[in-house]
Amino acid sequence: MLWLHLYGNALKGVAEKMIHSLFLINCSGDIFLEKHWKSVVSQSVCDYFFEAQEKAIDVENVPPVIPTPHHYLISIYRDKIFFVSVIQTEVPPLFVIEFLHRVADTFQDYFGECSETAIKDNVVIVYELLEEMLDNGFPLATESNILKELIKPPTILRSVVNSITGSSNVGDTLPTGQLSNIPWRRAGVKYTNNEAYFDVIEEIDAIIDKSGSTVFAEIQGVIDSCIKLSGMPDLSLSFMNPRLLDDVSFHPCIRFKRWESERVLSFIPPDGNFRLISYRVSSQNLVAIPVYVKHLISFKENSSSGRFDVTIGPKQNMGKTVEGVVMTVHMPKAVLNMNLTATQGGYTFDPVTKVLTWDVGKITPQKLPNLKGIVNLQSGAPKPEENPSLNIQFKIQQLAISGLKVNRLDMYGEKYKPFKGVKYITKAGKFQVRT
Amino acid sequence: MPYLGGEEALRDVRRALNNPHVQADPLRYRAAVLRVIRLMTQGADVSGLFAEMVKAGAAADVVQKKLVQLMPGIQEYVQQPLLSGLRDRASYVRRIAVLGCAKVHRLQGDTEVDGALVNELYSLLRDQDPIVVVNCLRALEEILKKEGGVVINKPIAHHLLNRMADLDQWGQSEVLAFLLRYRPRSEEELFNILNLLDGYLKSSSPSVVMAATKLFLVLAREYPHVQADVLILRSLPGHFSSHYKKFFCSYSEPHYIKCQKMEVLCELVNDENVHQVLEELKGYCTDISVELAQGAISAIGSIARTYTEQCVGILTELLGLQQEHITSAVVQSFRDLVWLCPQCTDAVCQALPGCEDIIQDSEGKQALIWLLGAHGEKVPNAPYVLEDFVESVKSEVFPAVKMELLTALVRLFLTRPAECQDMLGRLLYHCIEEEKDMSVRDRGLFYYRLLQSGVEEVKRVLCSPKSDPSLGLLEDRTEQPVNAWAAEFNTLAPIYGKARWALVTAQQPVEPCYAFSPCTDSGNRGTESLVSEGSKEVLKVHPDTGSLTLIPDVALTAEQFEKTWLSLDVSCQQCLPWGGTVHPDTIQTALHVVHIHTIAMSKAGVQPWKAYFIAQDDSGCLFLTELLLEAEGSGMQVAVKQSEAKPEALQAFMSVFRTAVGAVAGLKS
Repeated sequence: MLWLHLYGNALKGVAEKMIHSLFLINCSGDIFLEKHWKSVVSQSVCDYFFEAQEKAIDVENVPPVIPTPHHYLISIYRDKIFFVSVIQTEVPPLFVIEFLHRVADTFQDYFGECSETAIKDNVVIVYELLEEMLDNGFPLATESNILKELIKPPTILRSVVNSITGSSNVGDTLPTGQLSNIPWRRAGVKYTNNEAYFDVIEEIDAIIDKSGSTVFAEIQGVIDSCIKLSGMPDLSLSFMNPRLLDDVSFHPCIRFKRWESERVLSFIPPDGNFRLISYRVSSQNLVAIPVYVKHLISFKENSSSGRFDVTIGPKQNMGKTVEGVVMTVHMPKAVLNMNLTATQGGYTFDPVTKVLTWDVGKITPQKLPNLKGIVNLQSGAPKPEENPSLNIQFKIQQLAISGLKVNRLDMYGEKYKPFKGVKYITKAGKFQVRT
Repeated sequence: MPYLGGEEALRDVRRALNNPHVQADPLRYRAAVLRVIRLMTQGADVSGLFAEMVKAGAAADVVQKKLVQLMPGIQEYVQQPLLSGLRDRASYVRRIAVLGCAKVHRLQGDTEVDGALVNELYSLLRDQDPIVVVNCLRALEEILKKEGGVVINKPIAHHLLNRMADLDQWGQSEVLAFLLRYRPRSEEELFNILNLLDGYLKSSSPSVVMAATKLFLVLAREYPHVQADVLILRSLPGHFSSHYKKFFCSYSEPHYIKCQKMEVLCELVNDENVHQVLEELKGYCTDISVELAQGAISAIGSIARTYTEQCVGILTELLGLQQEHITSAVVQSFRDLVWLCPQCTDAVCQALPGCEDIIQDSEGKQALIWLLGAHGEKVPNAPYVLEDFVESVKSEVFPAVKMELLTALVRLFLTRPAECQDMLGRLLYHCIEEEKDMSVRDRGLFYYRLLQSGVEEVKRVLCSPKSDPSLGLLEDRTEQPVNAWAAEFNTLAPIYGKARWALVTAQQPVEPCYAFSPCTDSGNRGTESLVSEGSKEVLKVHPDTGSLTLIPDVALTAEQFEKTWLSLDVSCQQCLPWGGTVHPDTIQTALHVVHIHTIAMSKAGVQPWKAYFIAQDDSGCLFLTELLLEAEGSGMQVAVKQSEAKPEALQAFMSVFRTAVGAVAGLKS
C-alpha cells in the first residue's frame, strides 16, 4: 500500500497548496537537484532568484521571499546551499521556511553533513526522503525516527548489499509508531542494551566591543537526546539549577504541568534521537565569555599599508580547553593582500571576497596564539573608515557555560536498569568582536 | 547536471526496457525502470516510453510496480484500493489514502463531487491518527474547493481543538489556519478557546506561533484589549525596553533583519537605555552598506524627536566624516527634525556649512536647499551657498533640485534681500528664458508674477509656519487598526500586496502544465508561435470555433477611432494579471501579428499606462480596445467596445487578445 501516495506526481494538474517544487542551488549558481511534487516547473523560474542574488551581493542578504510573475520563491541558505522552494498559492511564509530547514536538518542527520557532495552521492535516498517528507505538497513524515523506519540511512555495508541484491533503502514494513496510543513513540520497542544519552549543547551569541566589554551576550541551549529503551519507559530528568532557564520550549512529550510546578522534565520519550528542550539564558544571569581577543588593526592615512595583530586567549573556562578555534574576518574592500605570520595554525586570505580565515585549533594558555603582520591596501584609495569585525568560532567539551547541570534521571514503568549518560558542550554561536 | 543525458539516454533506456534479457532479470529490469523515473524527475520528456512502462508494470516485483505507477495514469484502477485504503488498519495507509482521494478528484477534473466520499472523509476527521485528521482537512479543502472549502462547524472545531496537542507542528499550524473559519457562538466559548490555545503562542515552532497569533487576533476582533495583550510590542513597547540589546545587530545578519532590528530599537528607547542605543546605532552609521548606514542615520533622526540634543550631537559628528551618503542622510534627517522639533533649529543651522561640497544626490541637495531657504537667517553664509547652486544651475540634472532652489531663494530673499536680489534675478532669468523643463519654467514664471505683486503679497503667500510638531506630515507610520490587517497577518500579502497575489493565483488555470515534457519559457513559446503564424495573409485564430477572422488592414484614423470609441458602450471588461513593467513595443508587435492594430499608446514606464487598439473581422465588425495599467503591480484593465453586438465574436476576440497579451506578460523585464 506504500505506493498509494506516489501517483499524485504523475498527475497533470494545478497546484492547490503549499510547496510545489524545490531546487537546490550551490554557491556557483548550479541547480544540482530539483524535485517537483506536482507538475514540473521550469528551471528558468530560478532566474528570478539569481537576479535577486546578484543584487544582494552577499549570500545572506538574498531576500527570503522573491516574487515572480507566476510563482513566489521562498528560500533559505544553509551550508553553502540555497534551498529554493516554488510556491503558487498563499502560504504562511514561516511555515515554508521552517520546513526547508527541516529538510536540511534531515540531510544532515542522514548523511552526516548537508553538502552538495553528500546530496549527490545519495541522490536516491534524497529523492526517497523528499517523497516521504512532502505528499501532494503537504508535510507528511518529518520526524527523524519515523523517517528512519521508512528509509534506512546509508551505511557502507548496506550500499554494498544493495548494489549486489538490488534492494533499496525503502523499508518493507509500514512504520509501526503511529499505532501506539502515544503518537511520538512506537509500541513494542526492544533493545538488548538499554541506553539513554543526553547532550546539553550551548551556543554563545555575543557582541564584544572594542575595549573588550560585552555589549550583548546570550546563551542558546538545547538538550538533544538519544533514547534506546525497551517498552514504555517513563523518565524524569531534574536539574541542579533549573531556574537558570529562560524561554524553554519543549518536545510535545514533556508534561508541562510537572515542569511548571516542580521544574522537573517528566516524559515518555520518543524512540531514538530527538530534541528534548531548547532554552535561552540571558539578561538576569551574567553570561561568562570564555575567550578574550587582543587586537590592533590600524590603517594609516595616506599610506598603502596597515597593521594587523590579533591574539586570542582563554578566560573563565573553568579549567576546560578551548578548541576548534577559527577566526574569520571580512576585511575592507581596499585591502589587496595580507602578509601575516601565525604562531599557531594556518591562515588564508581570499583577495576576491576579502575574507581572512585563521584556523587556530586548540588554545594552550602557556603560549597564546597570535596572528600578526602587514595589510596591503590599494594605493590611492581612501583609508577604510571602519575596522572589521572578528567572528570567532570555538568549542569547549564537557562544559555548559551557563552552569546548567543535570541532577538525576529516573525511570519508571520498566524494570531493567538502563545505562545513562550526559554530555556537555559549549560552542560559539554568533560570536563577534568589534575592533 | 550529470543526469541529463537527453535523447541518447532515452534511446538507451528504451533499448534496455525492450531487451528480453533485461526483462528476464528482475534486478536489471527494475534498474531500467528506475532510470526512466530518474530522467522524468530531472525534467526530461519520457512520455515516449509510455508503452514500455505499461508493460513493465505487469511484472511481479512490487517495487517495480510502484515505480511504474509514478508514470502512466492509472486512475480507473485506483478507486477501489483507495476506498479500502481509507479503512485500512494501518494509519500510514489511511494517511496516504486520504490525500489520494484529493489527487484522484483532481485527476477526474470537473466531475461531480462524490457525496459519499466527502462524508467518509468528514467521518475520518475523528480518526485516532492525528495526521489522518489533518490530511482529511487538506483533502476536503481541495475536493470542496468550489463550494468554498471544508466547513468548520462547532463539533468539528471543538474536536480539532481537543486534538491539537497530538498534532505535529505542521498539522498544528494548518489546523490553526482552518480554525480561522470558525465563529464562536458566545463570549464564554470564545474565551475557552483562547485559553486552550494560549500555550501555542509559546510553541517552539515559529509557524505555529504565527498561526496562533493570527487566530487570536481574528477571534478576538471584538475585544481590542485581548488583541493588545497578544501584540505587546505594539501596545506596550516599554515591556521590551530592558531587552533592547536583543535587537543589536550582529555582523553576520542579513540586511533586512538589521533594518528591522533598527526599527524596533527606535520603539524601545527610554531614559535608561537611550545612551547605549544611540552608541550602538552610531556604530552602524559607518557600515560599508550604504543602505544600512542611511537606515541607521534615519533611525537616530527619529529618536531625535524625543531625545533631540543627544541625537543632533551625534548627527553633527557624523558630518565630520565627509562621506557623501552619510552627509546626505544626515541633512535629510535634519530637515525632518526641524519641522517637528523647532527647538533644535539653531544647532542644525550651525552644523550645515560645508555640507554643500559633499552632497551629490537629489534628495540630499533638496533637503539642504530647503533648510537654507527656510532658516537662512540663521546660517550666515546661506546666500553664498545658494549662490553656488545658482551658478551651477545650468549643469544641474535634477529638476526637483531647481524647483527647491527657486522656492528657497525667494524665501531667503524675504529675510536677506540685499544679498539675494541679484542672484534671484539671475536664477529667474535662467528658469524663464533658458530652462527646458516645463515645470521648472512654470514655477519660475509663477514666482516672477508673485514678486511683481509686491513683497507684502509674497510674504503672505510664502511665509507659512516653519515648523509644526502637531503636523505629523513627515511621519509615514500611520497606525492601522488591528482588524484592518489581521486577515493578512502571517501571509505573503503584506510583503507584496494582496491584489497582486490574487492575480498571480487567478492566472493559474490558464497556465499550461506539462507534467513530463521539458518546459520551455512559457512566454517565449507564445511569441514564437504567434510570429510564425503571422506571416499568413489572413489569420485564422481559435481553430476550435473558427468564428473569428481578423482582416489584416483596418482603415481608421485616430480621430475616427476617438469618435467611435466615445459613441459606443463597453461590451466587455476584464482584468489581466500583470507583473512588472510594460514594454509597449513588444505588445504592439504581438498584437500586430494577430491583426490588432495600435492607435495610440503611452510611453514605457508612465503611470497610469494606457493604450488603444483597433481590429476588424471579415464581417466588418470593429473591435475597439483600451488597455489601462493603473500602477505597477496592479492588473491590466482591458475594455473592449464592439461596433455590432456579436457575443460569440467578442468572446473569440477576447481570447485572441488575451493570448497575445498573455504571451508578452510572462516575459521577463
